[in-house]
Amino acid sequence: MSTTYTIPIGPVHVGLKEPVTAWLELDGEKIVGARVRPGAIHRGIEFMARERNPIQVIYLSERICGICSFSHVLAFIRAVEDLAGIKVPPRGQYIRTLVLELERLHSHLLWAGVACYTIGFDSAFHLGLLLRERVMDVLELLSGNRVNYGVATFGGVRWDVTPDLDRAARDMIRYYRREFTPFREIVMEDPIAQARMRDVGVLTREEAVRHSAVGPVARASGLRIDLRKSSPYEAYADIPVEPVVPQDYLGHAHGDVLDRFVVRVMEVYQTLDILEKVLDGMPEGPFVAEPNANKVLGQLKPAEGVGWGIIEAPRGDDTHIVSLKAGEDNVFWWKVRAPTYANAVSWPLMFRDNELADAPLIINSIDPCISCMERVMVTGGREGAQVLTKAALIDLCRAKTARISGGVTR
Amino acid sequence: MSKVSETESFKTASLTKAPVPCAALVDAFKAKFGATLLRLDVHEKTGGLDGAVQSRDIWAEVEPEAFRPFVENLFCYDFPDFHVMSGDDTGESVTLNYHLSLFQRERNGRVGVTVTVKVPKDRLSMPSIFDLLPGSEYSEREMREMLGVDFVGLPNKALVFLPEDWDEEIKPWRRDESGPKPDMVRELS
Amino acid sequence: MKFTEEFSLNVLRNLPRSLWVTTCNTGSCNGCDIEVVATLGPRYDIERLGMKLVGTPRHADVLVATGPVTHFMREKLNRIYCQMPAPKVVVVVGNCGSSGDVFYKSYNLDGPVDAIVPVDVYVHGCPPRPEAIIEGVAKAVLKLEALAGAGVSLPKQMAEVLEDDGVEEKDVEEAEDLERSHDPASKKEAAAV
Repeated sequence: MSTTYTIPIGPVHVGLKEPVTAWLELDGEKIVGARVRPGAIHRGIEFMARERNPIQVIYLSERICGICSFSHVLAFIRAVEDLAGIKVPPRGQYIRTLVLELERLHSHLLWAGVACYTIGFDSAFHLGLLLRERVMDVLELLSGNRVNYGVATFGGVRWDVTPDLDRAARDMIRYYRREFTPFREIVMEDPIAQARMRDVGVLTREEAVRHSAVGPVARASGLRIDLRKSSPYEAYADIPVEPVVPQDYLGHAHGDVLDRFVVRVMEVYQTLDILEKVLDGMPEGPFVAEPNANKVLGQLKPAEGVGWGIIEAPRGDDTHIVSLKAGEDNVFWWKVRAPTYANAVSWPLMFRDNELADAPLIINSIDPCISCMERVMVTGGREGAQVLTKAALIDLCRAKTARISGGVTR
Repeated sequence: MSKVSETESFKTASLTKAPVPCAALVDAFKAKFGATLLRLDVHEKTGGLDGAVQSRDIWAEVEPEAFRPFVENLFCYDFPDFHVMSGDDTGESVTLNYHLSLFQRERNGRVGVTVTVKVPKDRLSMPSIFDLLPGSEYSEREMREMLGVDFVGLPNKALVFLPEDWDEEIKPWRRDESGPKPDMVRELS
Repeated sequence: MKFTEEFSLNVLRNLPRSLWVTTCNTGSCNGCDIEVVATLGPRYDIERLGMKLVGTPRHADVLVATGPVTHFMREKLNRIYCQMPAPKVVVVVGNCGSSGDVFYKSYNLDGPVDAIVPVDVYVHGCPPRPEAIIEGVAKAVLKLEALAGAGVSLPKQMAEVLEDDGVEEKDVEEAEDLERSHDPASKKEAAAV
């Protein structure tokens, strides 16, 4: 008689749309079905925005998600600029691109570190976090804050790139060119890390198309989609970007966790190149169309309509739709779609035929910010309810590493 | 994994077709849908040093009956990438916007397509596009819980973002009497 | 499990100087959580101070809560708090957990954190720097020592949750007795960073 039992994972997860409770149906160690329920920390941000003016909503949108805070701000601002017809001076566009790429750098480094932590590779986790601090320094030099930068505003940016920052950013690029490759080699050439990530959480190319996967998840499945190429915005109009896909590096796209790792790691190199081009090509001139926030609000007051802002955030395309009404101070309505909202639809597919020990890795692999798994309660087992903690799950994960490392020799 | 019904357009769709210019798409939509196409605008987005047009978005409003044929028609050009649905309470009706993208592979090739439908409040029901685009599942469930629109053919109609003990009579985004009561909206500090 | 007075005092006498910390994201934007991760990293290296992030509240001395509390997370936060062994302190990291900050006028927020569980240390900032988080947790040590001097009371929520869990009646009575025997006012001295 076959027995399956269901375990819920979660609900504590991070980000606006990311907090997810997953019920995994297990047959032994094997996951045979999965149901996903987001919404643990739904704050009703879109509802809150109806009581605020567009400038206030900039700071609200920054707090949708702490990791891609700039992406959300820019997507919101571009949506408003789309409907109100505000133009951004070239220097403002280049500074926005600079911050976007810095954010992609710190997001990918954080993800690479946390993915190593999830498979029990703690030394690589610490190495990844050590590398990440350098880009945080540059962001802090630019904006004075490590997480919520408050850089962008309607019609440009609020802070200029000073010669000091330019020098710091170029130093940082040199630092990463020197230091990042050892980190990549430590993880990618480790047979245990490879064995833990290969063929885990597979999303095939066709499924990625059907389920509208975005960003590195879609690219890891072999899709050459990247908004920086297909609809270039800001300085990407002058800087060609090619999507990073695993088949270019490994010959074949598996669509598994290792491929997602490869995509993000190779995007770090791409980001360094883009950063250099942005710094080299930084045009002179004003960086904001109208620095006075009150005047901007005055411009926005007669605006009416719906605007669509879409950009390539570190985790995929980030879509904001904003509606303003003429004569109203406040945002009429607003819809946010974070990249994880799109990728979470594919989660049940990725879980198929994997083991329970890989569940944290699969959840992590779409980069739902950091996966903050609180506790897992096993119910319906023979000996009644039993509580598995995040620590126990990670132990399970590490035990699997130990088990397969027996069969792999260096 | 839920079974997906394979319509003809769904089977032939792949991400390999050549992009069609935005102007040609507009003409084709107008020719095919005629009077059921209530409004059609094009937004241009510029960027870069010379401020050239980098991408275009088509904003189309269609009659509710023409909505599903409109989406199915998009499959003739390319497999549409579904982004999200947005919506609002517009008095006598609930407005839904479906945001999709075509041609995401070529440089400057992407055309954003927004399909707007006004669903009258006396029969808040729409055909689901879950069978065509499974990525729309969360959006349809969200619109159901936030605005009270029923999607015919959506297999899972459970709440997505609202808590389990939520009173389902209350639709947070509605501006009429089924919206959140003033005493539910808290200031915290 | 029996929460007797002797048991609690026994724990206090052997109060560890190195704190074990657990985190709960009660609806934050994740910004505070990545700063908590950064404090674990090599630059800020909280482990050199003997502090450690643990995966389960049952092992933790300190609860780090981030975010305005959503309706869904209210009960979870309460449960996590009650699962922690006494003596324990709660550190709120970030403005929104302390006061709601930008998150006002929503239909789904029950917060801030001190409306749900008693809070001992508030760390301000959006998000606070890792140094501030470390300082906040360090202040929690002082609070734990103060609790050790004053004796520990079982908070009201503990009794409520024990009831929910279907724990035996006498345990709940014991908890209530213990609560009555101590002055809850001593919990109110909150140290702000």
